[in-house]
Amino acid sequence: MAGAFAAFSFPFSTSEAQGIMGGHVTGNVQWDGQMSRRDSVIGASDVPEKILSNARADILYTNGNFSAGLRYEGYLGPMLGFDSKYSGQGIANYFVSYKTQDFAVTAGHFYEQFGNGMTLRAYEDRFLGIDNALRGIGVMYRPFRGITLKGVLGQQRYYWETRGLVRGVDGEVSLNDLVESWSEAKTRLTLGASFVSKYEGDETVMSDIPGYKLQLPKNVGAGAVRIDLASGGFGLQAEYARKGQDPSMMNNYIYKPGEALWVSASYSQKGLSANIQAKRVDNMCFKSVRSESGEMLYINYTPAITKQHTYAFLSMYPYATQSTGEMGLQGDFMYKFKKETLLGGKYGTDVHLNASLITGLDTTIVGGKGTDGYTSSFFGTGETFYGDVSLEIAKKLSSKLKLTATYGYVLFNPVVEAHAGDIHHNHVLIADLTWKINRKNVLRFEAEWMGSDSKYTAEVDDKRCGDWIMGLVEYNFTSSWFLSLSDQYAYNDGVGNYYNISVGYTKGATRLQVGYGKQREGIICIGGVCRNVPASNGLTFSLTTSF
Amino acid sequence: MKRFFISLSIIFFATAALVSCDKIEQQSDGTYTVYAGAVGEWNAGQGVADKSQRALLEKFTGVRCNNCPTADEQIATTLDNYAGKLIAISIHDSISSFCNPYPNSLDLRTAVGTSWSEGFGRTTSSPSPAALVNRMKKDGSYDIFYSFSSLSTYIDPIISQDAKVAIGVAAARNNGSLDVTVDLEFLESLSDKLTVTLAVIEDGLIATQLLPDGHTRDTAYVHNHILRGVVTDVWGADVDCTGAAGEKRVALFSTSNVNPEWNLDNCHIVAFVSKKENREVLNVAECEIE
Repeated sequence: MAGAFAAFSFPFSTSEAQGIMGGHVTGNVQWDGQMSRRDSVIGASDVPEKILSNARADILYTNGNFSAGLRYEGYLGPMLGFDSKYSGQGIANYFVSYKTQDFAVTAGHFYEQFGNGMTLRAYEDRFLGIDNALRGIGVMYRPFRGITLKGVLGQQRYYWETRGLVRGVDGEVSLNDLVESWSEAKTRLTLGASFVSKYEGDETVMSDIPGYKLQLPKNVGAGAVRIDLASGGFGLQAEYARKGQDPSMMNNYIYKPGEALWVSASYSQKGLSANIQAKRVDNMCFKSVRSESGEMLYINYTPAITKQHTYAFLSMYPYATQSTGEMGLQGDFMYKFKKETLLGGKYGTDVHLNASLITGLDTTIVGGKGTDGYTSSFFGTGETFYGDVSLEIAKKLSSKLKLTATYGYVLFNPVVEAHAGDIHHNHVLIADLTWKINRKNVLRFEAEWMGSDSKYTAEVDDKRCGDWIMGLVEYNFTSSWFLSLSDQYAYNDGVGNYYNISVGYTKGATRLQVGYGKQREGIICIGGVCRNVPASNGLTFSLTTSF
Repeated sequence: MKRFFISLSIIFFATAALVSCDKIEQQSDGTYTVYAGAVGEWNAGQGVADKSQRALLEKFTGVRCNNCPTADEQIATTLDNYAGKLIAISIHDSISSFCNPYPNSLDLRTAVGTSWSEGFGRTTSSPSPAALVNRMKKDGSYDIFYSFSSLSTYIDPIISQDAKVAIGVAAARNNGSLDVTVDLEFLESLSDKLTVTLAVIEDGLIATQLLPDGHTRDTAYVHNHILRGVVTDVWGADVDCTGAAGEKRVALFSTSNVNPEWNLDNCHIVAFVSKKENREVLNVAECEIE
């Protein structure tokens, strides 16, 4: 340990100044912008600034085991869908780090995840506009082979400020690395445990009883245990987390302890894979500031077990994880029919079947704010939140043509987005044809249809309702340019005609894209974490490069 | 060696788990609540005659703090100089060992004083005397200072400004209860959520105090501006208002929670209106108890 700290100090010593010069600098830059003007049909508004722009530049300096970095961010003003609290510019992230195989320490901003994130996940997603980096100190230490210990202490990023106080420790034991006689065993077993706590000072939160306030816990802890077992093609992963009393805005200030269980079992062999996942989440929302109700300041994360769809109509209703309470089950099956078989044909056929179902919990209300809130049955289920089934068949028709055909069914309960309205039942058909004309020219066609029992009404104003068709043509030429045209049209019981055209150019690590069209109001989710996207109508551009 | 590391790790985890979790005990009625002090019912008011901007000085002191009597003198002089524009509160808490009472002497510590000190980031190692004006922050932390020789640098910038909200207060005994009436008048539009805090302050308390020579204990030391309790909740009661310029609000706070140790003849009420989010004091007033 002493040696590690001695080495940590060397980049700053005068005698080793040339060592700093001997390092190297890497980075990347991203600049996105948009213009939008009023469109009453889709609900787009004029943008007072005319041009909105998000920009960021990451600079990383590395010299041996030492690294340091910073990130410039500028939101002048923030693009539509990004919180106005981002407005401004400056150095949003900076750190210094020293890392060896057995020891690492980072001071400044850093990201970390314990296990599946059920007690701690400090991460960022620039697409969602979420960054809950910890600003403080993080340490990793491997006292000997097979054991990894981590510790973190810091405050969470909150737009341009930091909030809360988070402390956490994590330990992981790889028994195959720890026990020498197990090192060559086919069965691999890793065990882990984590504990995270937050501190927040007292404040006055009145109860529903006049003249009485809540007694608030200043320190709230969450702990988890996990297992990762693999043997041959079989795999089993599980994590169970529990959280102490944590009254907050998110759970209407109730005191019921939280818990979450996630289990994943899988089997794979050449040409086949199967996976089944289940989870139960009960009052497991864990934020560093109890009064924060937005998407920021989450300390933990519960893994999403719905498929991250990529096609437009299947992803029109993404599922937002309900960390206050949900149960879910997902099955995923992939099979490749071999070449020169009846179903495989000349090139083989890939089949991908996925299904998931998410419900609420079976709860009994025992009180409101300032009480335990409710009790829940561990195996009982409540109302259905979300369900989907998708069957995707991908087949190479010839050496130049590849067709992917997909059928999907989506059941969506608007209550998960805190909206009123009936459950939507949608059927989706997709045909995706790729024609590789030659080595440098590729043409792709995509046609989608969605039939829904939902109907647009001005009262609910959900612009995703109705029956839709979509067409897309995408042409990649000379390996550098691409041109894309698409249109989504609500032909029955819906509103909106969303056309888009975009052109892009890529040279080396630099990519420029310019688009024009309409964006439907909706919600985008990545891994169950979501943000709202308002409607827009106008020009967009994006420039990315790295060095 | 391996066993040592494993044992160390287990101890580390167990310690972290034990010390990092608070458990709130459930009340017999199934709630986790506690009396929050008088809440007050807000109604349309008549306005406030005195629209002065005043400053609140909170002093963190202690009977075992030998420099505190000097600070008391400096504050007394400053209060005279600012004649009604500055209001002082002396806080004795259970955090600082400077506040531990001497044997056979009055204990000036209060639960509310402890909550405030803790809320302002004071720890067992924080120096005394210290002070905070209007609960202002600097670089994200409460701007607590330790030198009392230039108090005007903290007070002048506040009282030289026009008040955004005027506050008036009146208090009266009522058959063992205490009735406090607070008037607010918004002189500018305010979008912040606001709270009003009513503190009971007592003068003329006798308690043993360590003197500046560091060893003499004055058993007849007279303590003034001593925080004795609050009529409202520790961090105040919510103000029901729109915050529009010109709005006038009034509320009556009535409490039977009057500590018999308080000598109400020597007590007065300090009322201050604060921003709920960061606790910054916008204005303050005081009154005798009729």
